[in-house]
Amino acid sequence: MSEDINYYILFDNYTHGLALYKLLQLDSIPARISPTPHILQEKVSCGMSLLIMPEDIEAVRACIAEHGAAYHDIAALPCQIKTDRFRFC
Amino acid sequence: MIYLDNAATTLHKPSQTVRAIAEALNTFGNSSRGTHSVSLSAAFSVYEARVKIAEFFNCPKPEYAAFTLNATHALNIAINGLLKEGDHVISTDWEHNSVLRPLYRLEAERQVSLSFLKADSKGRTDFLSIPEYITPKTRAVICTHASNVTGNMADLEMIGEIARRHGLLFIVDASQSAGFADIDMQKMNIDVLCYTGHKGLMGPQGTGGICLREPLDIRPFYCGGTGVQSHNQRQPEQLPTLLEAGTLNSHGLAGLSASLDFIKEIGLENIRAKEKQLAELFLKQVKDCESVTIYGDFESAQRAPLISLNIGDLPSGTAADILALQYDIAVRPGIHCAPRIHEALGTAERGAVRFSFSYLNTEAEVMQAAQAVKEIAEA
Repeated sequence: MSEDINYYILFDNYTHGLALYKLLQLDSIPARISPTPHILQEKVSCGMSLLIMPEDIEAVRACIAEHGAAYHDIAALPCQIKTDRFRFC
Repeated sequence: MIYLDNAATTLHKPSQTVRAIAEALNTFGNSSRGTHSVSLSAAFSVYEARVKIAEFFNCPKPEYAAFTLNATHALNIAINGLLKEGDHVISTDWEHNSVLRPLYRLEAERQVSLSFLKADSKGRTDFLSIPEYITPKTRAVICTHASNVTGNMADLEMIGEIARRHGLLFIVDASQSAGFADIDMQKMNIDVLCYTGHKGLMGPQGTGGICLREPLDIRPFYCGGTGVQSHNQRQPEQLPTLLEAGTLNSHGLAGLSASLDFIKEIGLENIRAKEKQLAELFLKQVKDCESVTIYGDFESAQRAPLISLNIGDLPSGTAADILALQYDIAVRPGIHCAPRIHEALGTAERGAVRFSFSYLNTEAEVMQAAQAVKEIAEA
């Protein structure tokens, strides 16, 4: 995971988010279910997002395309958690 | 007790269903509300139930399968959400009040006009006559898959083809057939399928759903919290969120999910074969009793596993009371929330005594029930 930038896959709802999470698991692409940072929450996005590593973005896009998975956006955001004080993986 | 009121709700559930609910009770947070571990436990369980339901009914996508509290809830969403001012609807005399009352209300409030396919004295209906009822304003055909009074079943593939040919929505009430009959939304051209989880699917009460063949212009019956898009002043338009405001019954859905696993393990065809066998055994035992009147079409190849009858001139409630008190047998008397079919059968005043069978009933129970009917008939 990049020290400075986090990449979040955003969704319209949990059903879409959990569906993609399962697909990523099947393709062995690491992802963590995370609350969507408030700054990324437009009116149309959901409270859960998938936190992925930058080096996996292309693999994630390929997985999405292959399965026609529904998602709202992939957004980048500077890490919100001080990693010297909190465990964050 | 011998429980033969499975058309109302199945009393006996698979043990794995009971275990799944018990486990969920102390391990589930609120589905779609947050990302901590117990919220996700609930969310994944609901998601898995959704995937299984979509597969079970061949609904094109899991997200098109929204959960409700029961079939009535689902039918209200469908009927209120899809029908507009001045629409015309074709339905049948077979319908339960879960279809009839929402339709009657829209008839009064939105000037929706209604036509009902008539049933004869055996409860038979000519579905091929649907085109004769179609007007330029006809929007939908709404019918139950199986009558909860006669057990007569509709040929959904044939009706779906008629609806498709005429550009009509096809809305199906599968309350009595889900968990017994094969239902394939895509093959049968079903646009909206409404079902309950606590009858043939052997799940808990408080579960059910509405499955859409594609995203339709459907107005949600109610709005509220969804755990997503919280700044949006409108109900989110994506399925299933559009139709699922408020906390879901994730504990119940965990049970329904386990019941679907049970059905898959046993095989729907094996469940159907056993239930048919139990119903036919019962019929064989009682049909020749002189004072027993049996209702329904028994020449049809497809029937739901239930038999309604009357004994001599006993009111149906009295017969059911005798069965309960003297024989400890649970059945359902009365009108079964289906007034139109009882009018067709000539039992609107008296009702009928309904015996309905489940996979978890036994031949011995059926034989005892049949013997009880014979004894009451001969008394």
